[in-house]
Parts: sequence; structure tokens; C-alpha cells
Amino acid sequence: MCARGGSGVNQLFDPNRLVNPIMRTGEKGDGKWKEISWEEAYNYIVQKLSVIKEKYGAKSVAFASKSGPEQTFLNQFAYAYGSPNIFDHGNTCPSGYSVALTSVFGNGSISRDFSNCKFMLNFGHNVYEGMVISYARGVTQALEKGAKLISLDPRFSVLSSKASEWIPIRPGGDTAFMMAMVHTLIFEELYDKKFVEKYTIGFEKLKESVKNYTPEAMAKEYDISAERIRELTRECAKYAPHSMVDFGHRATFSPEEIEFRRAIAIANALLGNIETKGGLYFPKSPALYNKLAGEHVAPEFKGSILPKLEIPQEPRIDLIDIKDGEFSKISKTRGIYSKVFKAILEEKPYAIKGLFITRSNPVMTVNDSNEVVEALKKLDLFISVDVYVSDTSQYADIILPESTYLERDEQFLAKNGKNPGYEVRQKAVEPIGNTKPSWQIYLELAKKMGYESAFPYTDIEDFRIKQGYNYPNEMFKLKEKGMSSYGIPLLARDKESIKKFVEKYPNSKANLDSDREFSEVLKCKTKSGKIELFDEALEKACGRGGLTYNNPKLKNEDEFYFIQGKVAVHTNGHTMNIPWLNTLMSDNAVWINQKVADKLKLKKGDKIKITSKVGSQIASVLPTIGIREDTLFAYFGFGHTSKKQDIAYNKGMSASHLLENTISPVAGNNVHTIGVKIEKV
Amino acid sequence: MKYAMIHDMEKCIGCQGCTIACRSENAIPDGYFRLKVKMDGPHGEFPNLNFNYVRHSCEMCEHTPCVTVCPTHASFMDENGIVDINANLCVGCLYCVVACPYNARYVNPKTNVPDKCNFCKHTHLKQYGEPACVAVCPTDALIFGDLDDPLSPIFSYLANKPFVTNKPHLGTKPKLFVVPNKKGGIKL
Repeated sequence: MCARGGSGVNQLFDPNRLVNPIMRTGEKGDGKWKEISWEEAYNYIVQKLSVIKEKYGAKSVAFASKSGPEQTFLNQFAYAYGSPNIFDHGNTCPSGYSVALTSVFGNGSISRDFSNCKFMLNFGHNVYEGMVISYARGVTQALEKGAKLISLDPRFSVLSSKASEWIPIRPGGDTAFMMAMVHTLIFEELYDKKFVEKYTIGFEKLKESVKNYTPEAMAKEYDISAERIRELTRECAKYAPHSMVDFGHRATFSPEEIEFRRAIAIANALLGNIETKGGLYFPKSPALYNKLAGEHVAPEFKGSILPKLEIPQEPRIDLIDIKDGEFSKISKTRGIYSKVFKAILEEKPYAIKGLFITRSNPVMTVNDSNEVVEALKKLDLFISVDVYVSDTSQYADIILPESTYLERDEQFLAKNGKNPGYEVRQKAVEPIGNTKPSWQIYLELAKKMGYESAFPYTDIEDFRIKQGYNYPNEMFKLKEKGMSSYGIPLLARDKESIKKFVEKYPNSKANLDSDREFSEVLKCKTKSGKIELFDEALEKACGRGGLTYNNPKLKNEDEFYFIQGKVAVHTNGHTMNIPWLNTLMSDNAVWINQKVADKLKLKKGDKIKITSKVGSQIASVLPTIGIREDTLFAYFGFGHTSKKQDIAYNKGMSASHLLENTISPVAGNNVHTIGVKIEKV
Repeated sequence: MKYAMIHDMEKCIGCQGCTIACRSENAIPDGYFRLKVKMDGPHGEFPNLNFNYVRHSCEMCEHTPCVTVCPTHASFMDENGIVDINANLCVGCLYCVVACPYNARYVNPKTNVPDKCNFCKHTHLKQYGEPACVAVCPTDALIFGDLDDPLSPIFSYLANKPFVTNKPHLGTKPKLFVVPNKKGGIKL
């Protein structure tokens, strides 16, 4: 368990959290509230939503949340209301790689077999600070077994400290690096020819698109010699298929994110590491697993029992619904969140008058916070479901208090890995005060709006029973243990794994192909059904079918790169006010190279003003030898503006106030790097 | 039985999961710590750098200065090798706080009695057989066991890894063993 999980109990009893619905009584943002009943809150919301729908149409209310189980209920409510505009935080976080993986593999959520990997190239995916426990465990296990890990990161992260080698690559240079790597794999014929022939399509077109991206041509972009990248590529290929290029997370370094992450996805395919030990693999759903096994191994619970509503016919504000368009690879439940605020301000392509969010804090997470605040103030209706009066919620008309994760039951969720499984969150204590979980909030609201038929459950237990109706025993076991897993791990191209699987499920023999592999697993949800090394749809939409190198110019000559990352003791921007976690880290000093600091006469703790083309922030400095001379680094999620978050208020600097609200091609991500100037204050 | 712990710095990632687990398990007052992990560094010559991840908690010495100086026998070592405090016998002289060469004790502001790590003797260890910090560590950087039991995991770990103890020149013989970083120099 991480520090954040361990601090849940501290959040539970935090006197600062909301325990009743509150309604704004003063101007937006001035912090005057009154407690109201749920009934009053619902009535207000219902009345306002009806007025907006009548005046501007349902499409003019946008719905947004963090991704997770709550999203199911918010989205259902949105569609029932009639708005196509649903969003999650994706474009400020993982959209770069999920869109790239969708383009290549037809699936945005492919898993990495970290623990069996023998050679790993990592571009700033700091699994030891942006913590997912299973990733941290996996990488540690691999290292224990002697795996080689190369960390390419402009700053010396915890992951870099555990790596075999840290290469302080230039910010934005990673795209050029990957182009050169793909070039080397192809033109030195280091790729897995059999795999490419059997499972992929578009190789020749890919080859044509990268022919000019020799390591020599690219080297000037990343401060690593052409020879070094050839060596690294050869070494990676030597260990193939038990080697990988990690596709990262919060992958939003540059506007060329799509090319970078696609190059990574393609490199993995060229290494032939799909469905092998130490490579990438597709999560095995119960249905697929049972089919392969030729017997009923895992129960097939329903993912959601909510009736599938038709997507409202109105066009979305972010254009992702244009068929085969540039942004069409972005999931419909994801969208391009950061476009909402421009749509509010500019009323283009049409006006957004209302915003409904569940546990999302765009003032901290969407670029150009000033613009976000201005937009929030302009809304006719802004409802926020939150645990605290966050930086964003402080501009709401009504805040509905959500139960924390220790106080709420949730539906059964799929937890598919090499073999299928489920998990379920169950409350440890009764909710404090009058807080409610999302399944209840949206159910009650739907009833008031007359959308009962879209929410056919009485409570979460009813929901769960309907999910697993045919498997009462399995439901019981799952609830007892919290998680369950069925069968044995399967990697569809790993000899050892296949042998064990076939031994255990003899019927599965019939499903092996002539190479004695389960090629069924590698049937992709792409148009061709294969792994697409060249994307015909993107080629038509914006000429990005193959890989193209467009120099992602991130700063001017006289500026620093400003980059950021996650820290292990906080979850993005929403744990800084939890007392225990705040004690561990309350501020984010900006890393600056020791030599540069000496030159500028900056000592630890000195204040600097950081200015970008969008805004400026005051920050304290941390001179260190662990960063490039042209780069500044800060942990993100600090610099809170809500006075109700009293211990976190105004501590540290907020990166979102410096970043420009750009939308990058295809991936639609908000770019998290910008050129800045600094001066001592 | 002789309880001991290993902190494998090579595996530790400084995530503070342990310090929070300790706080939660043992109701440590806000602002105080029985256990801290400090990230120290980076050291080295760019780009060949390393961090040290230094655990700061009671070292469970064999030769215990804190017990030796205690005038009332409030500080004592129990039958399992755990250095502990009997609050009922404590007169608040704070000799033990000063005597500890590892600076592992703080004075609990509510009770005015010195407090420190006792391997979760009355809490997690009692219930689950290991301290809370060990149970939560995401990278298994903490290993807990019995030095008198050759089958204890701590035994084979110590047999196979190079380890050091802190301030060995003082002769305190800590039962907190540290597996140092392979990378870079060792500073203890």
C-alpha cells in the first residue's frame, strides 16, 4: 500500500471535508456557502437543467469526471438528459498513449509484463513516484532478476536512480529518439520478421515513412549520439521478445505525443514482444478466456446493467465524433476535456451553459487555469460532486458531497490480466454526515428528472446482483475476498505458458494455430483486424498514417524547458489538503541544475518568478545535480487556490497556470511542457 | 526469539507508504514520527548519480544505551529482543532521548512519555505477525523475522546480501540491518 492509500482514514475524518450539500450564497469564488438538504439541492439542479435544456438544448450542458466507476453513472445521466458532451480527464493525462495504442492495436489498454522483462527502455514513466503498486512491484521484480533498465528522462527520478543507466535526454528529444529507433530496427533488420508477417499490416508503408529518420539525422534533437541509439536498439532487439519500450503514463510531454507514442507501440510490435514474457499482452476477458479454454472457467459478469442509451445525435464540441476524423481514435467517454472551457468562453462551435462534474478539478489539471476560472465563472449552471471545496468546486453553484472510498460500495469491476478476474470495493465504515456515493446521487437525480428507466436498480447491491445473476456463489466469494481471479496466466505466444494452459484445459488444443500459438488473442479491434503499423484512417484524416517527425519546438533559445511529474505521496492535485500527506510534502520547490543556480546566485529556498507566455508563478528553488542545465522540474498538483483547503492553500506553484491550452494533433492532449524564463525575486 | 528487520535500500523507493502505515497503526500524533524514510542525494558525478533512501527509526540495539541510562527501568528489552518503554515506570527524565545515538525517540506531547518504534508490538505485530511498515511496503524492501530461527526469511536474506549497520563503531549492535545501494558510494 502507498502513503495515499494509508492516509484514507485521515481524509475520512478530515474536518475540512464536506458532509452536507452546500449552495453558493455570494459571488462565484468568494467562498460564501450555506448548507442545504439533498432535496433542496436536487430541486435546484432539476429546475436549472430543465431551463437550460429548453432554452439552449441538452447539448449545452457538459458532463465530466475522472475515469472510474463513478463515470458510468454520470455518463448515463448525461445521455439520458440528451447531451453528447461527456468527458473524462484523459486529455490531461493518458490520452497520448491510449490513442496511439488504439491506432496500432485497436485497444487503448494493453498491459505490460514488467516483472518478466529483461531489457526495458523507459521514457519518464516513473513507476516509483506516479505509483501504481503493481507496476512498482513488477519493475522491482524484474530488476531483482537482473533486468536492464534504461531511463531516458531530463531529470533524475526515483526510477532513474534504480535504472542501470540514466540518460538525461532533452525534453522533446524522445520523439526523435524513437524515430531513430524504429528506423534502426527496420533498416538493420533487427525486427521479428515472422511476427510482422503473421500479425501486422502496413510494414512497407511504415518503412517508407521512416526511411529518412536515421540515427545520424535525428541525433542532434536529443543529445545522445547516433551510435548510442544504435547500441541501445541492438541491445533491446537482442533480448527480444523479452524486452519492451514502456509506453508510459500521463503521456503528455509534447505536441508530437501521437508520433512518439505510436513509435513506441510500433517498436514493441517490431520487437515481436506481444503476448510474450516481458512484453505487452492483451487483457484476457472471461469470454475470451473461456472460448480459448474450450470450457467455462470464469464467470461472465455483466460490465454494466444500465441500458445502453443511444448517443445523443447532436455534434460534440470537441469533434471526436467525426467519423474517421483526426480525433476519431479518442474514446467517446473521454473526449477532449480542455476544449470545454474554450467552448464556454467563445461559444464555439456552440455555447456550453452548464457543467456537471464528479471529482474532477480542472483548475488544477487543465492547462491555462486562468482561462478555466474565467469559463467557470461564466456558466449558468455549475454543479460539482466532490469531497472538498476544491479549486474548481469553489466556483460551483452547488457542491454535492461524495462519500470517500472507505465509505462507499461500488459495482463489480473487471480486473483482467493474463487471466480474467474481478474486483469490488466495499465500504469499511458507514458514510460520515450526509455524504452519498455516485451511484446513489445520479440514481436519485435521474428519478427527479424522469429518467428512471435508464437507471434500473434500487441500490448498489441490486446492481451487483444483476451483474452476476447467474453466478451467486462467485459473487459471494468475490465479496468475501474483494477480488477474484480465474484460471491460470496465459500469454498467447509464450511456449511455456501455452503448454501449461493446454495441459490444464485440453479442449484448448483445438484453438491453437499451426505455429502452436493462440493467434485468436491477437485479433485486434482495428479495421484490418491486425496490428496496424500504418494507419490508413489517420493517413486520410491528417497525413499521419506512418510516422512523421515534426520537430516539437517546446521553447525559445533563451528559455528553460519547464517539465513536471508525479510524486509518490500525493495523487495528482487532490490530496494536498490531507493533513498526513501535507506533512510529508506541502510544497513543490522547482529543481534547477546546480551549475545554473550557482551562475544565477540562487540558493536552496530562494524565490524565483517563473514566467511563460500564459502566466507566471512564484516558486522556491531546489538546486540539484539531478537535472539538465536547460530544464526546470516541479512536482505537479500544488499551488491550490481554494481557501477552504486551508493547509494546502497557496503553497507551492501551480504548473497549470503556466501551461498553454494547446490541443495536440490526433491524441488531443494538453501539452505539459512549456518554455519559461526565470528571475530572482 | 530475537526480532530483527532489514531495510533494503536497493529496493526502497522512498514512497513513504511505511511512514504513513506506522502513523495510522500506532496513532502517532500529527507532526511526530516513529519512522521516517529520507531521500538523500543525488550524489555522484552527472549523469552517474544515485539516491540513498535512509530509514530513520529505532535500531533495536543489542547493547542499548537508552536502557542503560534509564533510572527507573522504564526502558527495557523484552524477551523477543524488542526495545520498549513501560510508560507507567517513566518519570520523564528524557535521559533515553538524549542517550539514543540514532535520535530515534520523540516525546509524545499527549503523554509526555518518550515514544519510538517497537516493531508494532502491541498493534500490527500482535495481530498479523509483522510490523505495519513491513506489511505495506510495495517493493518488499523491508524484511522482518527472527534471528534465532534459521527458517525465518530474514536469515536467508542476510546470508545472501551484503549488509551493514548504522554507526557500528559505537558497539550498539543494531538489529536493523541495511542493505546498501549497489550504485554509487555508501554514506551511512
